[in-house]
Amino acid sequence: MNRVELQAMAETERNRQKAFQCRFLCCVGTPCLSAGGGVVQEALKQAIAVQGLDATVEVVGAGCMGPCSRGPLVRVLPAGGEEAIYEHMTPEKAGALVEAFAGPGCSSFPEESRISSDSPFFGKQVKIVLSGSGRVDPDRLESCVAEGAYTALAHALREMTPEEVCQEVVRSGLRGRGGAGYPTGVKWNLMRKAQGERKIVVANGDEGDPGAYMDRTLMESDPHRVLEGMALAAYAVGADQGYVYVRGEYPLAAQRIQRAIQAAERQGLLGNRILESRFNFRVDVRMGAGAFVCGEETALMASIMGRRGQPVPRPPYPAQRGLWGLPTLINNVETFGNIAPIIQHGGEWYAGYGTEKSRGTKVFALAGKVSWTGLIEVPLGITLREIVFDIGGGIPGGRSFKAAQTGGPSGGCIPAAHLDTPMDYESLQELGSIMGSGGLIVMDDRSCMPDVAKFFMEFCMDESCGKCAPCRGGTVQMVRLLQRITDGGAAPEDLEQLKELCLLLKETSLCGLGQTAPNPVLSTLRHFREEYDAHIREGRCPAGVCDLSGNSME
Amino acid sequence: MPKLTIDDLEIEVPPGTKVIDAAEQLGIMIPRFCYLKELGPAGACRMCAVKFLQGPFKGVQMSCMVDAQDGMVVSTNDPEAVAFRKQVIEWLMLNHPHDCPVCDEGGQCLLQDETVSGGHGLRRYLGRKRTYRDQYLGPFIAHEMNRCIHCYRCSRFYQEYAGYRDLGPLQIADRVYFGRFKDGPLESPFSGNLVDICPTGVYTDKTARFRVRHWDLERAPSLCIHCSLGCHTVANARYREVVRIEGRSSGKVNAGFLCDRGRFGFGYAAHPERPRNAKIAAQNVPMSAAVREAGRRLLEIRESSGAEAIAVLGSGRSCLETLGMVQHLSRVGKWTAPDFFENPQMERKVKAIVSQLDARLAVSLRDVEKADCILAIGVDPVNEAPMLALAMRQAFRKDAKVVVVDPRPIFLPMRFEHLAVSSARIETLLQVLLQVLRQTDLAAPPAPLPQPIQLSEGLLSEVAFDSSVQAQFHALVETLVGSRNPVILCGSGVVGESVSSLAADCAEVLQNAKGKGGIFYVLPSANAFGAALLASSPEHSFLDTVEGIENGTIQALVVVESDPLRHFPDGPRLQAALTKLQFLLVLDYLPSETVRRADIFLPTCTLFEVGGSFINQQGRLQAAEKVHAVGTPIHQATDEAMRSARGEEGGGKHPPRMYDLGIPGGEPKAAWEVLDALMEALVPVAEGTWREDPWEVLKQEIPLLASWNGRGYPADGLHVVPEKRPGAAVALPLETEAHTSPSEASLQLLLVDWTFGTEELSQYAAVMRQVEGEPFLCMHPQDAERCGLAHGDALEVRLEEGSIRASLKVRENMACGVMVLPRHGRIQWQELRNLSGRVPFECIQKISTDTQVIEDLR
Ligand SMILES: Cc1cc2nc3c(=O)[nH]c(=O)nc-3n(C[C@H](O)[C@H](O)[C@H](O)COP(=O)(O)O)c2cc1C
Ligand code: SF4
Repeated sequence: MNRVELQAMAETERNRQKAFQCRFLCCVGTPCLSAGGGVVQEALKQAIAVQGLDATVEVVGAGCMGPCSRGPLVRVLPAGGEEAIYEHMTPEKAGALVEAFAGPGCSSFPEESRISSDSPFFGKQVKIVLSGSGRVDPDRLESCVAEGAYTALAHALREMTPEEVCQEVVRSGLRGRGGAGYPTGVKWNLMRKAQGERKIVVANGDEGDPGAYMDRTLMESDPHRVLEGMALAAYAVGADQGYVYVRGEYPLAAQRIQRAIQAAERQGLLGNRILESRFNFRVDVRMGAGAFVCGEETALMASIMGRRGQPVPRPPYPAQRGLWGLPTLINNVETFGNIAPIIQHGGEWYAGYGTEKSRGTKVFALAGKVSWTGLIEVPLGITLREIVFDIGGGIPGGRSFKAAQTGGPSGGCIPAAHLDTPMDYESLQELGSIMGSGGLIVMDDRSCMPDVAKFFMEFCMDESCGKCAPCRGGTVQMVRLLQRITDGGAAPEDLEQLKELCLLLKETSLCGLGQTAPNPVLSTLRHFREEYDAHIREGRCPAGVCDLSGNSME
Repeated sequence: MPKLTIDDLEIEVPPGTKVIDAAEQLGIMIPRFCYLKELGPAGACRMCAVKFLQGPFKGVQMSCMVDAQDGMVVSTNDPEAVAFRKQVIEWLMLNHPHDCPVCDEGGQCLLQDETVSGGHGLRRYLGRKRTYRDQYLGPFIAHEMNRCIHCYRCSRFYQEYAGYRDLGPLQIADRVYFGRFKDGPLESPFSGNLVDICPTGVYTDKTARFRVRHWDLERAPSLCIHCSLGCHTVANARYREVVRIEGRSSGKVNAGFLCDRGRFGFGYAAHPERPRNAKIAAQNVPMSAAVREAGRRLLEIRESSGAEAIAVLGSGRSCLETLGMVQHLSRVGKWTAPDFFENPQMERKVKAIVSQLDARLAVSLRDVEKADCILAIGVDPVNEAPMLALAMRQAFRKDAKVVVVDPRPIFLPMRFEHLAVSSARIETLLQVLLQVLRQTDLAAPPAPLPQPIQLSEGLLSEVAFDSSVQAQFHALVETLVGSRNPVILCGSGVVGESVSSLAADCAEVLQNAKGKGGIFYVLPSANAFGAALLASSPEHSFLDTVEGIENGTIQALVVVESDPLRHFPDGPRLQAALTKLQFLLVLDYLPSETVRRADIFLPTCTLFEVGGSFINQQGRLQAAEKVHAVGTPIHQATDEAMRSARGEEGGGKHPPRMYDLGIPGGEPKAAWEVLDALMEALVPVAEGTWREDPWEVLKQEIPLLASWNGRGYPADGLHVVPEKRPGAAVALPLETEAHTSPSEASLQLLLVDWTFGTEELSQYAAVMRQVEGEPFLCMHPQDAERCGLAHGDALEVRLEEGSIRASLKVRENMACGVMVLPRHGRIQWQELRNLSGRVPFECIQKISTDTQVIEDLR
């Protein structure tokens, strides 16, 4: 396929879609499917068949639409009418929808379960990475192409040199979305200059943080977006092989990516002589086996090579000596999701969003005690208050906001006093948290902070790869101390030891897992010291969560 | 070179030196667990933390991870670093069982040392200790996972360094477990190194378990004499018995590791049946009486039949002092020229090899590690010289290409190209290779390289190599031509006599062009090189001696630390010959068949009891020190006393009550000392040229040693090879019809070595019984099919007067037309006679596999 044929394909598909009077897009992301989305889709199809509307109405799968806890979600796109999303769909409601359409037409769609598009949940969001999610059918290449997939690649291959692609990414100010926020353009330039017989591009879709599912959603909802980003990266740095490393718990994402690769290869959008240029790029999927540490880049590479997923000291960095000794570019799945829009609209356009040092938008998995949970994409620099109270709709049940945890087990909490902090890399770091990959857990006044810290510490203890002593042994020791605190058996010295361990782990662990494992403890100590003191000195849990009967330890 | 300051001391080190090693050079031993120079840094234990005060790094960092750089200022005892290390020890000790009183590692335990030196004494952690189930890992290694501190040395050695996969880390987090998927003997023949490198008592030497405390050991630097490499060891003895062997690092041979044959094969020295008394007609007599009587008998024969009627046989397992004395005695006594090889064909091969080596061409084992291309010809490293396989693997890990040309089913712990061609074809192949190398401009090779088949004017196709071998051969030529440091390995077992010189010629051509690389031979025994240096008379071999015995010209045979009944290719013939002898005098320390047949027997000492010098296959003269006094090990002596207490002989009770002036079982002497005594009995002192010092004798007998000042060795031994070999060899006519057509209904029998179960000395070690496995032979699937046999069949091979039974292994990765038979200790392969010959199909029979036969095989 060449550029012209690509455009033709898009045109054909758009015309095909226009021919329908109404289109029902059913979310086929994991949350909606597990809430019964499959049955709803079937019911819609049946109802349409019963009404004999096959020619005028289409039911298709689509990716994530955002408010995941309200699934199954169905987006209704009436020709000429106003689009709407229906929540908590059931087969019965599906039948009612079709009936309404068959009867008086789309103007009479029921109000019940309807989320209008001007709901505040959508109001402050800016969809760049997720622009196609919830609109394209992830299993149909044509549907994605109709929304512009691979046009950026086609443009770059024809009009841009690899240097220019790198420069455009530099100009966009995009920073890695995998957690550390390393400037992506800088990384690409280093990689472009690296010497190697061959080079490799890896998309990191391991996403092990509890509560985070941005990457999964993107891979499930718009796989071609990720593949196009990888192909652009490969073109920019001179690679000819790519791997998408998908966490073992994400079979659906892996399947979608796999199918997308096959579809793209069949059309010459991946593989050899892409879009009839001289550029070759093959992509393969590699599945992890469910270890958090395999998201760390050196462990990830070991895992791809079939070895034990355990970090090795850097340097050498992957860009110098990566997979099988070849220079390897590793970026997060979401990072790749930003590339096509950047190339399409230009780095400056992208840099127009966000703050000075944190450009663009970021996807968050909003969870916890807010009315609207789900996947959101917001411009960086938005305040936490806007996220929690505008997009999230505030704390349900009349409770009050206590803190929000960002960055998962490697991050920290932001207390109510800092609700107006802009969400960008630097501000979060100043508060003792991190941007992380995008998990955002909101806690109300019924959360006990030492208990929260213990939860994350236990996670790190269990997920430590077991290579280096501080992380392997230190986390166990810290969990024990936190256990004692929440059991009411702790002494004031224990807190001192806890702090000491935090610093030691931070400074001396081999990889990021151990280095950041103390963050939740440090940050809760910083903002909620009084809660620790209440447990230790007064034998009282202010949130009423812990049983402080004092029988600590076995 | 970077110059840095560590604890106020300045040092300059080569670039790339880690700070931890720089400190060690200053005598500052930074604590460590995971770091081992051979394995490189891992960054796992975090024990080697030091504080960097100035330079590109700042703060507490791991000294094993940081390369020394100019201007660094490092403090190893900064309070922050000290506090951190103390905390690390605390972490490592969280789950440790504190079972030092019953741990064999106690006294040489790095964890004990670092716990004390790190200052951790108070247990602050109240949780429960995590415990593990231990695994059965075979007869060599005991496993005690609770003691593990997770330094990853074992798995990194086992998998990365040695290349075996069946032991490694399982599980994650605090539950990491080092072991196998399930219980079972470790597959690697290098497993014993786990004992040496484990910093605590997870892996301990099972054979030495609970027998001794480290501080009670008598220790001395020694050598391994279980193959020709001569690896450096430390021998550890207690109560007149070696209980454990450890690796010792050397600059030219082994990097501190050993193979399991070398580590666990020492049991011959304290074999319960080891003959420790002199005997006349199988009756114990005092040593002096036996020597006197032996002298008298020899004099008698000299009187009656002349000195020529006395022959002497030594072997490559004796130390050089003994071999020199054998030579000397024979020369002074004007006996028939001495032999040092039981197998005449092997003698010719070894002599040919020794004559090829010169200082420029002979590379050491450590040099093999640095090669970028290794061509192994007729050598099976894992089975013939195991540590060679480990050295090759180190080269492989640095991207060296490995090509093996051998008829056997070769296994190596690395990827390699295998040209499985028959022994005869190896010669042809080498001739073509030599021709090609000579014709190619190695300095500026043409690209692409012409097919060797063109280069060799069609010779390759003329000798009918099939196309896959030709393709492999072409790739080999390309690899060699493109290499920078090519090393050729060459064996002596399965190849013809001219191969060694062809290999050396190839190596020389390559070295002339590249300025690097060389040749590395593998010989059949620890001192085969020394034996070849002494075996000066090219015409005489032990076969002549056997003929002499048969026709009556030889009437007395002195056998010194040799077992011809084991090694002589025609067992039945030798047995018959020995009965014709008037007098058989045997000196040895092994309970061998030859010893049992001796008219007079004189006991000698093992290496551990007197030390000795050996020349390894590279021509490196190295010495082992004496480790312990001669004598029956105390527990054996005690057992004897117990026996006599039960009334079998007069005696005592436990504790042993054997009142004697000497040490029980203390009669044996170094063989050269016994020979010296014999000489006194034979040659009146005034007449003889006898000198006390065996070294003076050696200097007389070996010209290469003449200029040397006697005792005392450089640390890496003395390289006793000429500066320049006598010159490139012979252009042999290309043999085009050495191979057999597939229609021929016979197989070539190859008797080969196996890691365990075929080597002479270790075969006497009881523990080897447990690892040597059952006797087997190997065939190519095509041959098996033609004989109507299948993998696993029990076979009988019947030839002339002898037969052997073994099970069949069918192997794809070997040459057609050969039958590979390891010389297993439990089969009488000597009886097959006619060894280099062929075995007709009809002589290979499948035997019924009923239980009786299987019993027999066991
Ligand atoms: C313990 C640990 C877990 C990580 N997990 C992930 C992950 O799940 N996904 C990811 O993209 N990056 C993860 N990272 C970060 C990666 O190492 C790497 O920095 C990232 O993939 C680089 O991509 P980026 O530059 O696009 O952010 C993890 C790092 C650590 C230390
Ligand atoms: S910090 Fe933890 S996860 Fe990272 S290498 Fe060390 S033990 Fe493994």
